[in-house]
Amino acid sequence: MTLTTEMELIEQLKQGDEQAFKIIVELNQDLVYNTILGIVQYETEAEDLTQDVFIKVFENISSFKGESKFSTWIYRIAVTKALDFLRSKKRKKRFGFIQSYFGNENAEADQVKDFQHPGVKTENKERAVILFRAIDQLPVNQKAAYSLHKLEGLSYREISEIMDTTVPAVESLISRANMNLRKQLEEYYKEH
Amino acid sequence: MLNNEHIQNEISRTLQSLEGVERAKANPFLFTRIKAKMQREENGWGKIGSFISKPLVAIAILVLVMAVNAWSVINSGTNDTLTSENNNIAISDITNEDDVVASADTYDYENLINK
Repeated sequence: MTLTTEMELIEQLKQGDEQAFKIIVELNQDLVYNTILGIVQYETEAEDLTQDVFIKVFENISSFKGESKFSTWIYRIAVTKALDFLRSKKRKKRFGFIQSYFGNENAEADQVKDFQHPGVKTENKERAVILFRAIDQLPVNQKAAYSLHKLEGLSYREISEIMDTTVPAVESLISRANMNLRKQLEEYYKEH
Repeated sequence: MLNNEHIQNEISRTLQSLEGVERAKANPFLFTRIKAKMQREENGWGKIGSFISKPLVAIAILVLVMAVNAWSVINSGTNDTLTSENNNIAISDITNEDDVVASADTYDYENLINK
């Protein structure tokens, strides 16, 4: 899509044009869904959050001034939504632990399952499950930076714009993520 | 138990398992679902529900309810005293009225006999 067309669509969306909104959703839905899915690792929740991202886009389009790329703006909303979800899940998990301590057996039961990303090559599926299990243990910022780099193929500069930080900070996040993943995988392969 | 070289090899291969990964595809009916969700939220109850379910709001409401309860319990103590005093007055009034009525009532045979 040319830049002019994108700017036209944005202007139409600012006027509340539903058709423009539909086109924007269709053009960006895989980008948003894939980003969120990589971070949250649950398909149902990823779809729900994807819907929320586009509702936010529709409601806040007037605040988009065109200072950054439109895709960067959408990525930023998607990453924020995904990280908010992870933080709230962590809080619930902590509360579930307290409940289970007081006898509620089902409280802690979380959806522990192996995540299979639908875009992984067939020959890599088994290994990717192990890798995603390790990715899930990373601190949220490392997880977001690593997912954007590996699953969306974004450069460190693009990630720094999305996460509103510097390029060296992103380099550091991804380097630490790699280190942590190596450590976890080493433990895994020592046991299996 | 795997030897170290083998473990390092496994780690490298696992870290490379995302090479060539394709984008996951969103639901083809995503836009329809977004529209439905927006309509649900527009009717107001969705917004009210999501506002009330926010932890901060929920805690604030809980604290408010507890404060109102505490206030009513504290105040009910002083009100009870006043009410019981009023009741005493009212009861004594009724008793006096009964006396008057009873003495004036010709159908009160029991009292007539006693008199």
